[in-house]
Amino acid sequence: MKGVNVALGAAGLAAFLALGEAVPRLGLVKEAYFPPTSRIAGALADEVTDSAFWQALGDTLTGWALGLAIAVCAGVVAGVVVSIVPYLREATASTIEFLRPIPSVALIPLAVLLYGTELRSVLLLVVYASFWQVLIQTLYGVQDVDPVAEETARSYGLGTWARVRHVLWPTALPYVMTGVRLAAAVALILAITAELVIGAPGLGQQIAVAQTSQAVPEMYALIVVAGLLGLLINVGARTVERRALAWHQSVRGEVAV
Amino acid sequence: MRRLSAGLAAGALLLVATACGSSDAGSSDAGASSGGVTTVKVGLIPIVDVAPLYLGQKKGFFEKQGLKLEFSIAQGGAAIVPGVASGQFQFGFSNVTSLMVAQSNGVPVKAVANGIASTGVAGKDFGALMVKKGSAVKSAKELEGKKVAINTLKNINETAVRESVRGAGGDPDKVDFVELPFDQMPAALDKSQIDAAMVVEPATATIKSQGGVEIASPLVDVAPNLTVAMYFASTQYAQQNPEVVKKFQDATAESLAYAEAHPDEARQIVTTYTKIPASVLEQVTLPKWPAEANRPAIEALMKLGEADGLFKKTPDLDALLP
Repeated sequence: MKGVNVALGAAGLAAFLALGEAVPRLGLVKEAYFPPTSRIAGALADEVTDSAFWQALGDTLTGWALGLAIAVCAGVVAGVVVSIVPYLREATASTIEFLRPIPSVALIPLAVLLYGTELRSVLLLVVYASFWQVLIQTLYGVQDVDPVAEETARSYGLGTWARVRHVLWPTALPYVMTGVRLAAAVALILAITAELVIGAPGLGQQIAVAQTSQAVPEMYALIVVAGLLGLLINVGARTVERRALAWHQSVRGEVAV
Repeated sequence: MRRLSAGLAAGALLLVATACGSSDAGSSDAGASSGGVTTVKVGLIPIVDVAPLYLGQKKGFFEKQGLKLEFSIAQGGAAIVPGVASGQFQFGFSNVTSLMVAQSNGVPVKAVANGIASTGVAGKDFGALMVKKGSAVKSAKELEGKKVAINTLKNINETAVRESVRGAGGDPDKVDFVELPFDQMPAALDKSQIDAAMVVEPATATIKSQGGVEIASPLVDVAPNLTVAMYFASTQYAQQNPEVVKKFQDATAESLAYAEAHPDEARQIVTTYTKIPASVLEQVTLPKWPAEANRPAIEALMKLGEADGLFKKTPDLDALLP
């Protein structure tokens, strides 16, 4: 089953790469603006021998990881607090719904004023965007706690901390993990966008430099790297999710099939 | 219950504090000096224009003055002017019209050193108004009713193109200006999404290599040897650090002169901070790098900008220029 999936995935990718090679070669789009796969691969090969590329990759991953870590911690803590403190949920709901749809990129001018082109500008955007993913999922998760289980725990005299640990958290965790997985992807998108638009060091900045330099194959090569990074992050997030939820019905059910 | 929620609330506060914290520690360390060397952050766009600064840094002209430059690459004036005004960068690179607009909007900026000037030779400038190969448009006058791409509306390039149209006997108000980044202009022109494009290097070289034709040199049409861009600081920084500004001015003047005298080295250094392909770089027309700004030309640019309604109030060139 797994072997078939991998084979299908590889075949799909191969077909896509072949299409990328054929479309410009057949003259459907101009090679100058959309180079064939082989030229992009050549540019990519040049990039990986350049230390500046690895530096940029490291910068992007730093911004991603730090931003995601802050967003996840803050989102989980804030989500649990808002849920268990009486009236807090009602008091914050409208504020959350007001802040949540504000696009992170709209904060770019603010980020530039506060931090210039530093890592902190990237973090501001990344944390802002991914925080909501985690917070909202945590809120849903906490809401999903079975009232009977909660009352049972109460009647057995479990304290608040024990109830959070043994009742609330196991119920909320699958939701939280979904939030983390969504946030991981959003964080990468925002990290690269921030670098692209603001000019903070990283892959996004390299893409922008290639763009202004009319270095088209290099630009696509870097975009491919960004795509691969997204793929890796998604696979990683799924693995973490499966590990953390190995006991949960959804994951156990999946394994049994 | 109460104890737990208090603990969690404190935890949340702490996280928010660490996430947003240390915000004011960083902005003051820039421009700090250690061992007699002052490090200054310079916000600039990674283009050919700023080659003298990279060259000057490499040749040690800044070190000789006790300065170390730290380049912050921004994607355009939009990030540089606020960055300098808010003290994130000590110096920035911007076109003269943007500086005049900033000043007329009450943003306290002060030009400190010359940046680039147009070559002053029509048909051989780094900035050009171009049409695609085989276009029916032969002169700027024929752009009436046509779509012309400008990197930023209501800025230096629009002013310059309007002057070219006017000079050719056309009515610039009848031209349909659209905003498009320089790097997208060659493709847009090629696909006839636009009728003409006001480009600068390296897009100029790219369009030329595709057989595009230059129909005007707008920057030359504004004034001979127009000062196009300058290095600037915030008024506050310039007042508080006159000695750093003086050192920056001297080292920049030396770097400009060196780059002007050694165009091959200038071209070479461009490859270290851009990805301009070697084949394109050979074709690139370098700007002029005079050490002094050309005030009469800037005055002409200001008058045209005023006529175009770019400024809230008349820019004060005495306060703006060094």
